[in-house]
Amino acid sequence: MGISNAVKYAYIVARVRAMKSKLIPKEMYPKFINMEIPEITRFIEESEYKKDVDELGKKYKGTDLFEHALNQNLALTYRKLIEVSQDEANFLITEYLRSWDIWNIKTILRGKFSGATEDEIFEDVVSAGQLRFRDLTEIIKIGTIEGVIAALSGTLFYPALEGFKGDLAEIEDRLDKMYYSNIIEAASASGNKLFLKFLRTEIDLKNLKMLFRMKRAGMERDETLKSLIPGGLELRDADLARLASMSFAEFVRALEEFSYWKAIADISGELSSLINIETRLDKYGLMYATRISYYHPLSILPILDYILSKKIEIDNLRIIVRGKETALPEDIIKAHLVM
Amino acid sequence: MDPTQAGMVAIGAGIAVGLSGIGAGMGEQAIGAAAVGAMAEDEKFFGKGLLMTVIPESIAIFGLVVALILLFVF
Repeated sequence: MGISNAVKYAYIVARVRAMKSKLIPKEMYPKFINMEIPEITRFIEESEYKKDVDELGKKYKGTDLFEHALNQNLALTYRKLIEVSQDEANFLITEYLRSWDIWNIKTILRGKFSGATEDEIFEDVVSAGQLRFRDLTEIIKIGTIEGVIAALSGTLFYPALEGFKGDLAEIEDRLDKMYYSNIIEAASASGNKLFLKFLRTEIDLKNLKMLFRMKRAGMERDETLKSLIPGGLELRDADLARLASMSFAEFVRALEEFSYWKAIADISGELSSLINIETRLDKYGLMYATRISYYHPLSILPILDYILSKKIEIDNLRIIVRGKETALPEDIIKAHLVM
Repeated sequence: MDPTQAGMVAIGAGIAVGLSGIGAGMGEQAIGAAAVGAMAEDEKFFGKGLLMTVIPESIAIFGLVVALILLFVF
């Protein structure tokens, strides 16, 4: 890394580290579980989310306000990262955050497919990618899936959407594959090996989660393979094909040969709960990002670590509030938290 | 000291100050950028940022000391 590149990363990394120091410490989550929703909301109103809660306070109330404030804060935080970064960092962050475009497209399509109202779809949309809130608002107003796809015809993701024949799962798989193939291409073109390694680890973790879900549902090998994303770091195409054709018990045993095994080794005797496995894998991803960000302090990694940490904070807060709202037992809420 | 010798000493002093200044500048640019980044998020980092930014200045002072020794001791 040249001196000028180090200077550019020094600025954004220091800024991101300062932003990370303002995240809610993990010791707070058990306290939130013991609080009532109004107490949690009050805490949030006095934290980094104050501006968002104040802004949306007139429009929404209760947990809806909470949900929208979290989403707005997440979108604005990610957008800020794009605005304050330069050159390579800016390019890589923009490419990485396109995953939110995929998230939004999937949310809108799922909403239209299941007949959700516009407000319900709005609740889950996060305009952190290249599709702005205004664009998303217009798209959400369209009544049919075909209409939504036509409205997205000018975007990067249209090739994955065209030819929709009623199978939403197929389109979602195509979108995921397209996102990762595009971003790997962009990372390779930029020559940033650290970013590439991070992405390929992320692909591995996504594939592992998908394999666990598919195995538990008893899906066939070919069906499973269709949903897996090529390009992982440890789980190469041959490994994926091998793992996809195994039974659940064989699959779990085969995982011992990969480094990800240590993320779930301590719960290997009780792999009946998918929630536990997915939470462990998410935690592994977060720990991995934090660890490698310390090895390479003036690189894209501390920024990716922050992006991941922020998302996990929002997810945790949402899980706690939604869990409290539906009176879920504390143990179940705790099992869903990544901390 | 003959004029050639005096000239060489002056050039040496200039190089000592110049190169140490460039070195300090190279060190400060990354630290300064990081300090500004941290301060943009939290003004409390002003003191620490300023302190860290001036640390490479010591290199420039070493250069100046070498230059003064060259000019006044020799």
